Amino acid sequence: MGVAQISDVEKRVRALHTVGVVCGLAAGAWLGTAEAPVKLASGQVPPFIVTLGMVLGVFMARWTIPVMLKGAGFVLRDLRQNAHLIVWALIAGTLWVVANTLTVFAIKNVGLSIAFPLWNTNCLIGLFWGWLFFNELKGSGWKGWAQVFGGSLALVIGAAILAFATTGHAASTGANPKLGIAAALGAGVLWGTQYIPYRKAYISGITPLSFVTVIAFGELVSTLVLSVAFAGSFSNLGHQIAAAKPFMFWLFLGGFCWVFGDLFQQYAAKYIGIGRGIPLSNTNQLWGLAWGALVFGELATIDAHARMLVLAGSLVMIVGAAFIGTAAAPASERTSWSDAMNRECSRYGLDAERVVSMLKGDDPRANQKPPRRWWEMLFPICSLAALVWLGTLLRRPEVELNLAWIGILLTITCCSLFFSGMLLWKRTRFS
Amino acid sequence: MKHSMFVAIVSDVHLWVPLCVLLGGICLLLTLR
Repeated sequence: MGVAQISDVEKRVRALHTVGVVCGLAAGAWLGTAEAPVKLASGQVPPFIVTLGMVLGVFMARWTIPVMLKGAGFVLRDLRQNAHLIVWALIAGTLWVVANTLTVFAIKNVGLSIAFPLWNTNCLIGLFWGWLFFNELKGSGWKGWAQVFGGSLALVIGAAILAFATTGHAASTGANPKLGIAAALGAGVLWGTQYIPYRKAYISGITPLSFVTVIAFGELVSTLVLSVAFAGSFSNLGHQIAAAKPFMFWLFLGGFCWVFGDLFQQYAAKYIGIGRGIPLSNTNQLWGLAWGALVFGELATIDAHARMLVLAGSLVMIVGAAFIGTAAAPASERTSWSDAMNRECSRYGLDAERVVSMLKGDDPRANQKPPRRWWEMLFPICSLAALVWLGTLLRRPEVELNLAWIGILLTITCCSLFFSGMLLWKRTRFS
Repeated sequence: MKHSMFVAIVSDVHLWVPLCVLLGGICLLLTLR
C-alpha cells in the first residue's frame, strides 16, 4: 500500500470520525430540545400518557423521515437483507420503554436530583458492552481509554452536578427510597443495554434509517401494553387519552423532535461506536437546561451558589465532550472493530465486502434507487394532518415563555439539523 | 426464516444479554407497581 493510499484511508477515517462526533452533538441538541414541548404537558397528564403521546409522535416520525429520505422500497429491501436484526430492533424499542417507565418510579421515590445521575450512568454501561461485545477501545492504548472513559466520567459527573444544582435537594415524598434507587439504576442499565442492538445492527451493515422503523413497533406495542396495565383497562385508557387531548400536540411534537435526536444518535453509534457516540449525545442535559433556564425561567429563583454549580457542571460536561470528540479510534482499535464485524458476517452469512463499505459510509446500493410509490406521500401527509388536528385541540400554555429565546434556540437547533444532515448526506448519503 | 438463521440467533449471546436485562427491568417494574 502506497503512502498516497494510506493517506486516503486515514482521511476517510478522520472524515467519518468527524461525522460521528457531529452527529453525537446534534443528537444532544435535538434530544434536549424535545424536552421543551414535553414540559408543557408534564404535570397536566399522567406520566404514562406523556410516554404514550410521545411514542405516537415517535412512531410517525420513525416512518416518515426514512420514507421521505430513502423511500419505502429502499427501507423494505434493507430490512429483508438484514431480517435477523428485526428481533434486536424490537428488543431495543421495548428496553427504551421499560427504562422510561422506571424513571417515573425513580423520580416519585427519590426525586430527580438523585435519580438523574444514577440513570445517566447508561453511557458507562454502553461503554462496557461496547468493549465486551464489539471490541470498542481494544487496541486504543492508555491514551484512548483515558480520553473516552475520562470524558464519559466527566459527562456523568457534570450531569450530576447540574441535576443537584437545578432540581433542589429536598427529600422526595416517595414512600420507598430503596426501590427508587433500584428503579433509577435499572433505567440506566436498560438504556445502556439498548445500545447492544444499535451497535450490532450497524456492524451488520443495515442503515440506521431502516433499523429505526422496526424499533418503532417495539416502542409502540410495549407502550400500549404498559399504558393499559397502568390505566387498569382499555376504557380507562381511552378516557385518560380523551382528557389529555389539549396537551397531545406538545407530546406528539416532542416525540417528533426526539426522533431527530435519536437518528443522529444512531449515526453516531454507527460511525464512532457506542462508547464514544452515546456520551456525546448525553450532552442533551445541557440543551434541556438551556431551554429550562432561558425559555421557561426555571432557574430564576436559584441562589448564587447554585448558579456557580450550574456553570461548573456545564463546563465539566463540555470538557468531557471535547475529550471524547478528539479521541479518534487508532488503526489498532479499528482492526478490533473489524474482527467484531467479521464475526457477525460469518455467524449470519453476510457479505463482508458490502458490510465494510457500509461502515465506511459508502453504500453500494446507494445508486440503485427503487422506484418511489405514490402511497409513500401518505406518511408525511398523515404526520402533518395529525399535527394540524392536534393543534386545533391545543390549549394555550399557562406558563410564561420567553419568545425571543425560543427563536434563538430554535434557530441554533435547526442550524445543527441542517449542518449535520448535510454532512451526513455529503459523506455517507445517509447510509 | 431458515433453520440455520434461527439457530444462529438463539445461540447468540448478544440476544440473551439484552433479553435478560429486559426481563429484569419488567420484574422490577412489576415490583414497583
